[in-house]
Amino acid sequence: MRFIRLIPSLVAILCGPSLVRANELLPRNLPLEQVIDHYVEERLKEEGIEPAPPAGDANFTRRLTLDLAGRIPTLEETQTFVASAKADKRIALVERLMNAPGFVRHQATEFDTMLMSGTRGSVRGYLLEALAQNRPWDLVYRDLMLPDENDPKRKAANEFLRQRVRDLDKLTAEVSSIFFGVNISCARCHDHPLVADWKQDHFFGMKSFFSRTYESGGKLAERETGLVKFKTTKGVERQARLMFLTGKVIETDTLKESPGSDTKKGKKTNAKSTPPPAPPKFSARAELVKLSLEPGQRDFFARSIVNRIWHRFFGYGLVMPLDQMHSENAPSHPELLDWLARDLVEHQYDVRRLIRGLVLSRAYARESRWDKGEAPRAAVFAVARVRPLTPMQLAMSLRLAVTDPQTLSASLKSEEFDKRLQALESSAGGLARRFDQPGDDFQVGVSEALLFSNGSEIEKDLLADGGDRLLGRLKQLKNREVAIDLAVRTILCRPSSDSERQLLADYLKQRADRPAEALRQMIWALLTSAEFRFNY
Amino acid sequence: MALNQRLCGSPLHAIDRRGFLGTAVAGAAAFAADMTQLNVLQHPVLAGELKKQQKRCILLWLAGGASQLETWDPKPGAPTGGPFRAIPTSVPGIHISELMPQMAKRMKHTCIIRSLNTRNGDHGGAAQLMMRGRRDEPNLKYPDLGAVLARELGRRDSQVPDYVSFYFATEGRGMSPGTAGFLGSRYAPMEMYTSMVPENIRRLDGINDLDHKQRAELRDLLSKQFADGRASSSLGSHNEAYQRVRGLMASEKLFDAAQEPQKIRDRYGPTLFGEQVMVARRLIEAGVPFVRVGRAWWDSHGENFETHQELVPELDHVMSALLDDLQERGLLDHTLVITLSEFGRTPQINPSLGRDHFATAWSATLSGCGVKGGSVYGKTDAKGQHVVEGEIGAAQLFATIYRALGINHQKNYYVGSRPVPLTEPGTKPIKAVLA
Repeated sequence: MRFIRLIPSLVAILCGPSLVRANELLPRNLPLEQVIDHYVEERLKEEGIEPAPPAGDANFTRRLTLDLAGRIPTLEETQTFVASAKADKRIALVERLMNAPGFVRHQATEFDTMLMSGTRGSVRGYLLEALAQNRPWDLVYRDLMLPDENDPKRKAANEFLRQRVRDLDKLTAEVSSIFFGVNISCARCHDHPLVADWKQDHFFGMKSFFSRTYESGGKLAERETGLVKFKTTKGVERQARLMFLTGKVIETDTLKESPGSDTKKGKKTNAKSTPPPAPPKFSARAELVKLSLEPGQRDFFARSIVNRIWHRFFGYGLVMPLDQMHSENAPSHPELLDWLARDLVEHQYDVRRLIRGLVLSRAYARESRWDKGEAPRAAVFAVARVRPLTPMQLAMSLRLAVTDPQTLSASLKSEEFDKRLQALESSAGGLARRFDQPGDDFQVGVSEALLFSNGSEIEKDLLADGGDRLLGRLKQLKNREVAIDLAVRTILCRPSSDSERQLLADYLKQRADRPAEALRQMIWALLTSAEFRFNY
Repeated sequence: MALNQRLCGSPLHAIDRRGFLGTAVAGAAAFAADMTQLNVLQHPVLAGELKKQQKRCILLWLAGGASQLETWDPKPGAPTGGPFRAIPTSVPGIHISELMPQMAKRMKHTCIIRSLNTRNGDHGGAAQLMMRGRRDEPNLKYPDLGAVLARELGRRDSQVPDYVSFYFATEGRGMSPGTAGFLGSRYAPMEMYTSMVPENIRRLDGINDLDHKQRAELRDLLSKQFADGRASSSLGSHNEAYQRVRGLMASEKLFDAAQEPQKIRDRYGPTLFGEQVMVARRLIEAGVPFVRVGRAWWDSHGENFETHQELVPELDHVMSALLDDLQERGLLDHTLVITLSEFGRTPQINPSLGRDHFATAWSATLSGCGVKGGSVYGKTDAKGQHVVEGEIGAAQLFATIYRALGINHQKNYYVGSRPVPLTEPGTKPIKAVLA
């Protein structure tokens, strides 16, 4: 019976990933997408679930372009892809998008959100540089945690620490969450009531790596010594050690209170003239970076980034929530997570490689419609998830959607095409600030609906007329049906249906006395439709 | 639903008449939230009746941490008491700070709670705690008081906002934004930060009203098809947001203070706080279930006495005007007025003549609907350093607020399949405070 086949997976789930040994995983030399589909489809078979069919070509183009380039595809991009009869056209599309400059810009935005949301800063400038060279993720981590203030290229990475240096609890909790997939902030006040993994020792152990970091005269600095003390729930005072999440301790003789630091002297130093304080001979933060990347310790690091990137492309992580990667919360596909983490480590933490594998899988390319009653739970990846667009994706796509497709035709040289995209991106930045960054279970607020319904900037920015605008082009078309279809194809990236054409034709006909206004309203209704707002 | 089977088809009988009149008095709150079938507001008698029975709440949020020693729990003569005296009130045995003479005359509406011990002295964390009645969990963001009341006391097809929050000051603004947590943006506040006119509430000149309406209907129709076979609450929220636009646009008048007779405006006084509290009354009178008016910035780490000398009399004046106004309109029995901060202030006076954050023994007040006015609950020691009687935390305060508004504080919401009660299991409301 099906149940018996489930038992090995149940055992694996209940015992957690630590029991799945490397030699039980699929071999190393397989393509990522093949491994992904193997494990996902194995589970689907076990549960007797027939997954949704692959998404159609137009749908796939839109989804992929949004995920890799941060925008909807142009009219011609969609049409070219749909019309192509090449067997490997999906791979070719993936490669084209990943090699275009827009890929780096979009990934920089997404990683910046992952690293810096909840702060007022950004490391996007640094990320643009790093991602353009496909800098290995462990080196990015190192750049962010141990910024080199003397290297102009790496200096910008210091924002990660600077935005958090005033609240070392926040720094501890956020580093643990972002890089290790672990939220241990409850363990600040007491041992975790449910999860045996997290005790106060762990929180303060992690905090010890950060407690010596401070800011002086606008520069980041670190003391050589430091000691974190805490009180247990029973009121016993304890001294923390430099202890990582695995329980591994760095033995050091620097665990003592540091002598009065320079910051307390109250001197106002001119930030530009004083050189950064000399790096300490013993750096607790550097020890953390080194330790967290060692064999036997680096599972947290590798699994967290795999899980976060998976979550971004699938709308649901292999472990959910993203910062609850502990023994009481097993991944939905433990072997898959282990395999992908191992692959990442063995390929120098190459995130491009990981992304490429994800988007080439069948699991990624499924339809998002489920017509057979209640959809299966998200964790089996039987059907693609509907994901709200991020602020920048939405703003950029809005700008693209109201642009005359002829100005973005395939006949443009790729540099010229990219230049036009960049122009749209820079004007999209302001609009993007009006939207909330979606989290899991994002709910659109009425303020967004009011913004689109009555906001003058929407009216001015998006519904304006002009030579390079879709509205201008539509006005020139004599045939109403052709205009309608062009609008739908440009904005929704797919052909219009008969019923849509009928509905829109009636709407335009009723306003035959004010045709430009009617077209503008039609464009509005398409831009504000649910379909536009989401990646599906 | 069983009710449907008894229908004769007429919308007026969509609910059992006797049930309506019976429950209207007792529990209109629960009733209102289910009233999707019958548009009661179309029927004048029922509308009037319902409007009066619907419970509402106004929260006067004293941002930054108001000092209990300079307001509701004075300790004159104690080394920690400061220069202000205590004055007797209209209720024998109850004394409040001399800075609140007007409230002293009206103590019969108000219950003072002096025994809050909430253990969080950080602006951000404490504001979150005192707005939600609990701490967020890492993977569960709770709705705050406004969002819960928007859900419990509001109408699905509401023509007015459900949750309005005024916070014009810049200090502390980022620390306590309203949040609907897992209830979703449907119940998110209409945040008023800079203007008394809600943003984007007015139709633009370039489009006439009929087009505006029909354009929205076109949008709805185009969106319907997309939702087929795609169950997602995010997706659903998108359509719901657009469906409320027209109704919200119509409620713009409520925010206009100039619509009130000058006599009433004068009662609340010429300050921004006074005007916003008056607008809050207009809003709840029109059926908005919850309005928060934030007054900043009470965080007197220095010059505590000057700061309170300025802020407390204003609070005194505006709160008195509000209670009088509500009573005159017959609304006070159905409106709960709360004064609350994120924490109180230390009895210890620091070298800058200030008081610092203090969550160990501080005060809040509840007036009006469902509470025993003219009473004090809980006691602090002679210096105000500890609670000696009736210690409560945020959870019990919230349980009491919910009960006062006729809401079951142990009612469950569901996040996925996880039941999430409004307050932690085992939390008891303060019986002594409830009417």
